[in-house]
Amino acid sequence: MMRRTVPVMATLSAVALALTACSSGAGSGGADPDDGGPITLDYWAWGTAQQPMVDAWNAANPDIQVKRTDAGGGTDSSAKLVTATRAGNAPDVAIVEYNTLPAMIVAGVAGDISEHADGLDDEFAPGVWSQVTFDSATYGVPQDAGPQALTYNKARLDELGIEVPATWDEFAEAAEKVHEADPDTYLTTFAPAEFGGFAGYAQQAGAEWWSVDGDTWTVDIDDDASVAVADYWQDLIDRDLVLAEPMLTPEWNAKVNEGEVLSWPAGLWAAGVLYGVAEESAGDWAMAPLPQWEEGDPAVGFQGGSAVVVTTSTEHPEAAAEFARWMGTADEASAAQIEQGQYPASLAGQELTLASDPPLLMPQQEDYWETAAEITRATIPEISWGPNVNVASSAFQDAMSTAVTDGTPLRDALTETEAEVVDDMRTTGFEVTQK
Amino acid sequence: MSAVTDTPPPAYRRARRRWAAPALFLLPAALLFVAFLAIPICYALYLSFRGMRMAGGGPFGVRQETWVGLDNYAAVFTDPELLAGLGRLAIYGAIAVPLTLGLALTFALLLDLPRVRGARFSRTAIFIPYAVPGVVATLLWGFLYLPSTSPAGWILERVGLGGIDVLHGPMIFPSVANIAIWGGVGFNMIILYTSLRGIPVDVYEAARLDGASEWDIAYRIKIPLVAPALTLTGLFALIGTLQVYGEPTTLRPMTSAISQTWVPLMLIYRDAFTRDNLSLAAASSVVLALGTLVVSVILLRVTQKRSFGES
Repeated sequence: MMRRTVPVMATLSAVALALTACSSGAGSGGADPDDGGPITLDYWAWGTAQQPMVDAWNAANPDIQVKRTDAGGGTDSSAKLVTATRAGNAPDVAIVEYNTLPAMIVAGVAGDISEHADGLDDEFAPGVWSQVTFDSATYGVPQDAGPQALTYNKARLDELGIEVPATWDEFAEAAEKVHEADPDTYLTTFAPAEFGGFAGYAQQAGAEWWSVDGDTWTVDIDDDASVAVADYWQDLIDRDLVLAEPMLTPEWNAKVNEGEVLSWPAGLWAAGVLYGVAEESAGDWAMAPLPQWEEGDPAVGFQGGSAVVVTTSTEHPEAAAEFARWMGTADEASAAQIEQGQYPASLAGQELTLASDPPLLMPQQEDYWETAAEITRATIPEISWGPNVNVASSAFQDAMSTAVTDGTPLRDALTETEAEVVDDMRTTGFEVTQK
Repeated sequence: MSAVTDTPPPAYRRARRRWAAPALFLLPAALLFVAFLAIPICYALYLSFRGMRMAGGGPFGVRQETWVGLDNYAAVFTDPELLAGLGRLAIYGAIAVPLTLGLALTFALLLDLPRVRGARFSRTAIFIPYAVPGVVATLLWGFLYLPSTSPAGWILERVGLGGIDVLHGPMIFPSVANIAIWGGVGFNMIILYTSLRGIPVDVYEAARLDGASEWDIAYRIKIPLVAPALTLTGLFALIGTLQVYGEPTTLRPMTSAISQTWVPLMLIYRDAFTRDNLSLAAASSVVLALGTLVVSVILLRVTQKRSFGES
């Protein structure tokens, strides 16, 4: 089979080369890349911060022009990247969420940029850097970070006389008080489809869903820590103290606007998302560190955050890597991110936030960025994601939704998810041990 | 050619000429058929026997497409979700198909009554939902279903009755079916109504002379005469049911009751694009297509005798 595939692939890529050569020639006014003329890079990225960043790059780099396409959010964009890579028309550079990056590597989307990554590791905290380094090869430049924090409706909590919880136990008590004070109001939401959020809570509790030793993967999605987290939320759901509904629906948005959902423990980007759905309540909100499982332990996990990867399809790996590095580390790029409420991944960018205004959702919270920096210092380093997070995420969403709808234990949903993940990895040919 | 013209069996020549023109006329259609139907189907079949497997070793080795034989089909037939999806489809179909056809037939018969008033307006009003794109219709209904955004919920709350949550538990089936019924009745009604208008008026006059009431005419004359159209719309509705995708997919973000594998096409989409397993999706597609074909043929066989009067 291989022998027949290779010539076909060679022909296809020759055609693809010819086609891209034509199009880039036309796009850059007939200039040939080999002559040192301007080249055009295609860049897939979602989010409001990207276009200003790209514009700043284009203004400063007339020789390497970047054309940005919004190919949808994290899940959509990575699915399209895989398809486009197979079809031979993937962009040169793209944004990939940290938890999807391993899947993008095994799908042959993200290229190894180690040879263009000299000194890059000094620009980032080790925890962030470990998100883009696998088997001592570098596959991307971190752009934004999403350490988990508690974004809450301060005005409503003050009104109800409830203090910001510092531990998850206090959080449960607060949930009880909120619901007692106003039966229509919930302290927070447990959205069964929020894979990333749950993964973050579990990481904070010490879970390690994937780990790799030599060539062998170990998968343990229903480890003790994760089960404890599941049981914690189970209890809140059973006592009707949290809203067990999907979030960011018209229904949920209406509740947030009416002050009936009072907090969202999520990545730091939550401020931007909430501002999008509840702009009128800006000024009522504030951000605090995520509640802790044990008092005094400041550790938190990540939820979201993304890296800029250079694809294996690019014809300009060097230019693409240069652009990726700039997007992750340049001050101008960081400034554009901060303005849009993203938390930059680079140390310099995080330093820059301290001189910036708080996000639009909480313009009154002067210490927002100081708090963010403290939280970031406490994020757990060495979080490792497996090669099929897409499978885990889809299995988790369905299993959790069914558990919440049917009233079956959430912890069983974790076991189901793990079974599907292991099954998929074994079918693909990974060596897996299951705990 | 000269050899042929020298010994001309006239019948043969005529046969040749008879073949040339149709072949030429068929060529564009045949080419399009091959390019856009035959090749994709063959490619899907081919894909269904392939799969992405680890090529090199190492924890981050790149996966490559290889031959996997019947692995994908084995996975399809042992997947409980596909079976569960078909089960949900059956419930959905049991609600949507009879109601769509029943309402369409009722409206068509009502519009066909003599001296009916406002027929043109009613016909258009019933047909208009069909012109609303499915996704738009689903979003529209979604907002009506969600208690906080629904005017019905608002009124119920003012009256003192709690809101009814139609996006939870078993209520999800009628809620999804309702959207399809709302959009589908108009289309089916037009087909049936057109068929009714094709019945010669003298049949009714003869019936009236014999003392038949409008009810008798509808039940004993109109319905049997539009049976072929009913079979056609029934077949469309059945195939439409097997292809349900847009409504539940659009509603999914609003409720936990709809999983990513709620109906077979959603399962196929998830496998192909969320889980990057095109081969498994291809195998499921082949199975679903064959299933649809079998069901359609059975339906036609069963109804043929009654509705087309053929043996």
